[in-house]
Amino acid sequence: MLLANNLSFTRNNKYIFSGLDLSVSPNKIIHITGRNGIGKTTLIKILANMLVPNTGEIYWNGKNIKKNLKDFFNNLTYIMDIQSSKEEMSVLENAIYWKKLFSSKIQENELNTIFKLLSLNKYSKVSALSKGEIKKLELCRLVIEQKKFWLLDEPFSGLDKDSIALIKETFKNHIENNGMIIFSSHFNPEITNMNTINIENYANF
Amino acid sequence: MQIFNSIQALFYREYKITFNNFQDIFTILIFFILGILIFVFSIGPNKEIFNYISVGIIWTLLLLSTNLSIDKFYKRDFKDGNIFLLYISGLSFEMIVLIKIITMWIFFQLPFLLIIPIGGIILDINMDKIAINLYIFLIGSPILTSLASISGSMNLLNNKNFSISGIIIMIFSIPLIIFSVGIINATPDLVMPQLNILIGILMLFLAITPWISAACIKLSIRNS
Repeated sequence: MLLANNLSFTRNNKYIFSGLDLSVSPNKIIHITGRNGIGKTTLIKILANMLVPNTGEIYWNGKNIKKNLKDFFNNLTYIMDIQSSKEEMSVLENAIYWKKLFSSKIQENELNTIFKLLSLNKYSKVSALSKGEIKKLELCRLVIEQKKFWLLDEPFSGLDKDSIALIKETFKNHIENNGMIIFSSHFNPEITNMNTINIENYANF
Repeated sequence: MQIFNSIQALFYREYKITFNNFQDIFTILIFFILGILIFVFSIGPNKEIFNYISVGIIWTLLLLSTNLSIDKFYKRDFKDGNIFLLYISGLSFEMIVLIKIITMWIFFQLPFLLIIPIGGIILDINMDKIAINLYIFLIGSPILTSLASISGSMNLLNNKNFSISGIIIMIFSIPLIIFSVGIINATPDLVMPQLNILIGILMLFLAITPWISAACIKLSIRNS
């Protein structure tokens, strides 16, 4: 379970948000929303322990995240809003790299099924893929890493209707299997049991 | 066990990127040979002058060639968030730096072992000196890679003046150049002391580079 209390963050001596409390437990999904530039990506980066908040603490399974970092990272899949796949490598090579990096037990035939489902050509170089296809490849990490807590920044941007439906289904399956999800998006996927946090309520204008 | 998988994954990725982008290494090697040819054409066919300066020319061009690979160190991995993914996978930033130094040395410095003899032949250096130069290159090149790592990681903290990284490499490589060129032109009794100093510099850089580069990467992530 992830618990964050009284988070605040400043940039250039100006508060972006303050007094933000948040908690996510197994079978729960949180949707972070708000207009552009309000601090959604910043909040996601803070939750991933990439940025340090000015005030507030984050706890993972009852322990402060700083003291429990290894366990937290062992359970975390973090999909950023930028392209983390390597353009010089093919779709399959990127997947193999992630499989090795996160010591995943996923088999090659399972990978092939995922690529087929997402209509990705496994031998295509990432540089030859469209923006939506790259996003789909990034989202493959959710299945490859097989972690409990998913943290996603704009997972639906650039995706077509079918892919959005597929990702929604994946989200539902994950929370049904005791998973936890926090994602930021302008798009509302309307999943049952989803809590929405509008970051504008915590913003300091 | 996971740490070994992460290390293996990083090697696999660097290998794939390098060999799918083979023209990058090729460009650096061509730069080295063209540099030698420019020296040859600008100085003219004077064997005596080349006897004195040929080893210096080779080391100067090795240094400049290293500057070309600085960008490949951390910049792209930082921009696409891969450094943080490696961190999530269980590798410390110091370990990431160490693996990067090893892979960059293998993929961007070792090919010079093939090209230095060709450069030596163009500059009419005798075979014994070329052989000694290759041994010294094996000690000196990890120092150059370490310098490129420090400079590449410092560049992450700097959004404006990217050329300063080249200057950092040049300043800190002066002792390396002095002793590398010095050994080849030294009298036999002065070879071992200078070689020991060179090995000492290598040990120093291998010890401090992971900490310096990791500190710079951590700071740049906090500022992102």
